[in-house]
Amino acid sequence: MNRRAKRRQEAEADARRGARRARAQDGHASISRTADLFAAPAASAAPAPPAPAPQTAGRKRAQQLWYAAVFPQLTEADADLMLQKLCLHAQRFTSFVSIEPPNALLLEIKGSLQLLGPPETLHANIDACWRRLELPVRSATAPSTLAALWFARSGTHTGRSVVIEDLATLPGRLAELPIACTAWSIERLQTLRAMGVTRMGELLRLPRAGLARRLSQAAVQDLDIALARQPAPRRAFVPRERFRERCDFESEIETVAYLEKALEPVIERCAQFLRERQAGVQTLRLTLRHREGPATCVHLGLASITSERRRLTDVLTQKLGRLELPKPVRSMELKSGALQPLSAGSLDAFAGLAGSGGRDTAPQLVERLRARLGEEAVYGVVSIPEHRPEAAWRRVHELPLAFPLRAGEKTAAQNAGDGMPRPVWLLEAPLPLADGLILEEGPERIESGWWDGRGVARDYYVARTPVGAPRQPQGAKLWVFQERQSRRWYLHGVFA
Amino acid sequence: MPRDPSSLADILADARVWKLKDASAAPARPVWSTGSGSLDARLPGGGWPTASLIEVLLDDTGLGEVQLFLPALVECQRRVGQTSGDAPWLVWIAPPHEPYAPALAQAGIELTRLLIVRPASATEALWAAEQALGSGVCAAVLLWLKGTDDRWLRRLKLAAEAGGALGVLFRPERHRFESSPASLRLVMSKGEPETRLDLIKVQGGRPGPVELGSP
Repeated sequence: MNRRAKRRQEAEADARRGARRARAQDGHASISRTADLFAAPAASAAPAPPAPAPQTAGRKRAQQLWYAAVFPQLTEADADLMLQKLCLHAQRFTSFVSIEPPNALLLEIKGSLQLLGPPETLHANIDACWRRLELPVRSATAPSTLAALWFARSGTHTGRSVVIEDLATLPGRLAELPIACTAWSIERLQTLRAMGVTRMGELLRLPRAGLARRLSQAAVQDLDIALARQPAPRRAFVPRERFRERCDFESEIETVAYLEKALEPVIERCAQFLRERQAGVQTLRLTLRHREGPATCVHLGLASITSERRRLTDVLTQKLGRLELPKPVRSMELKSGALQPLSAGSLDAFAGLAGSGGRDTAPQLVERLRARLGEEAVYGVVSIPEHRPEAAWRRVHELPLAFPLRAGEKTAAQNAGDGMPRPVWLLEAPLPLADGLILEEGPERIESGWWDGRGVARDYYVARTPVGAPRQPQGAKLWVFQERQSRRWYLHGVFA
Repeated sequence: MPRDPSSLADILADARVWKLKDASAAPARPVWSTGSGSLDARLPGGGWPTASLIEVLLDDTGLGEVQLFLPALVECQRRVGQTSGDAPWLVWIAPPHEPYAPALAQAGIELTRLLIVRPASATEALWAAEQALGSGVCAAVLLWLKGTDDRWLRRLKLAAEAGGALGVLFRPERHRFESSPASLRLVMSKGEPETRLDLIKVQGGRPGPVELGSP
């Protein structure tokens, strides 16, 4: 009760101040208009109903309350990491914490007031949290993001921390701040100083249009944000989660089979961890530590995001099966890659059921093959609309596994050279040929690519080697070409 | 496979059981046309049998051996896709050269469902083939090998039966006189002017040379 009465007094005083200012500037039409713009909107209407108007207006509009903490001692190098750690501390007080580079945090505390007490108490509690960490901090609470930051940056010389809950008092309190607290660029601050502006109050009184022209629209926008007239969305800090479990063995493990057994419960827990978070992983890393020498690292890549125990076990077993332990293993650590949300496409709920019948899904098959044969050994091909035969196709390692392809739905664009014979096999590089071929079809002239330095000018034929010719695929149907400049013959493909 | 044979129909539905008597009648398993009328006529059911292993023996590539299977691959991608909703995969393991994407697209193969595997050794190739055949997501698996033993072929055959896939194994002709569990074996050799095709083992049919009509 006491507090509310005090706040009401403050609001009244502020309203009177605003009204006095408005009256004093009555003669100058342009200036009084700007006072309207930047002073609290209720101020000009204040004289008629003295007390309640500003307060109700303020209470209604203060949708958010921001606590800003500035850590002046954070150095550039470690600020990023430190702020992320501090975010984890701050998340005790609110679910919304945002990092303000270079060295500040913003906490939205309006939502926490009901549980964690009035703003002053909450503010003091958060301050106490930094004190326990022995971090020098300057803090402030205000109804807008920028205002809170500016109050925090300007420092609390008096020792009392700034806690402003009421929107109506905000312009008046902001007016006392020096303009340096905005952390605007040196040029902008110098322009302002040249104009004789050193305090925020003087800045707020300037005409809006002129200010936008002299500084920039962004500066005017900053003022609007500070006065809570414009929203300033912030990105909430979300901690990165990973699964990590370390396992020390009582006796050293020498065979992979035992290792697999020991891994089973760990994978089970990993799958559980992922299920609880409705997330999946695409990479896993298993580190095996030995008594001496470097640790053995097993890196696992999955073909698609998953949280299924069966698939994780499958891939791990494949990788371990090919592993030769250089030395007995003392401990192991399983660490997941970044967690990714499971989408409907990566959820294979029914695949798990069908699994009892020994059936897999395509991603499972691909990752099992890749785990054993290597990432590069399993790939797809695409055809590219290009005239040069060697440039008309490409390997793809990112396979379209996740989405189902309806039958009859054509994804590949029709290719250049439609209707012309193309061989099933293409040689990596054209092979010089001796004479003595029987040309059956052709020529098909391909002349292209002069623009990128790998131009070709060739006449392609379908040919057959005569039976009995030495050192040639006998009786085979071949795709050969004659280079038009050198008149030499090359073998480029085989019709298999 | 300790499966309890509950009825005669179940046993007959099993692809490992074949009846000599009505070999020409349509079997329960789908067959895919070879694209050649004269060859279809010689095969039980009138096409390449699925859920089984086919062995093609030839010494050199370029005899139209892949051409022999392309119509079947296109057909099974289309037809299986229609029933299951998702087009099935084709897996080519250790092909002798790079499969040329424009040619395959021209033939009508869905390239986004083609997987090419390049294993480092023959054992790995066989392992990959077994995995792919048994996975149930592949409609056909084509495997090129220099040589292998009987035991592995048996495993491939079992995997093909379990996964319901069409398994095709390309091997050099010198393996012609070795025993093989494949349900269909054919030898391809050069001829004047056409490639000669010789069926040396046909489960449920008669072996003998086949005249391939001009495509």
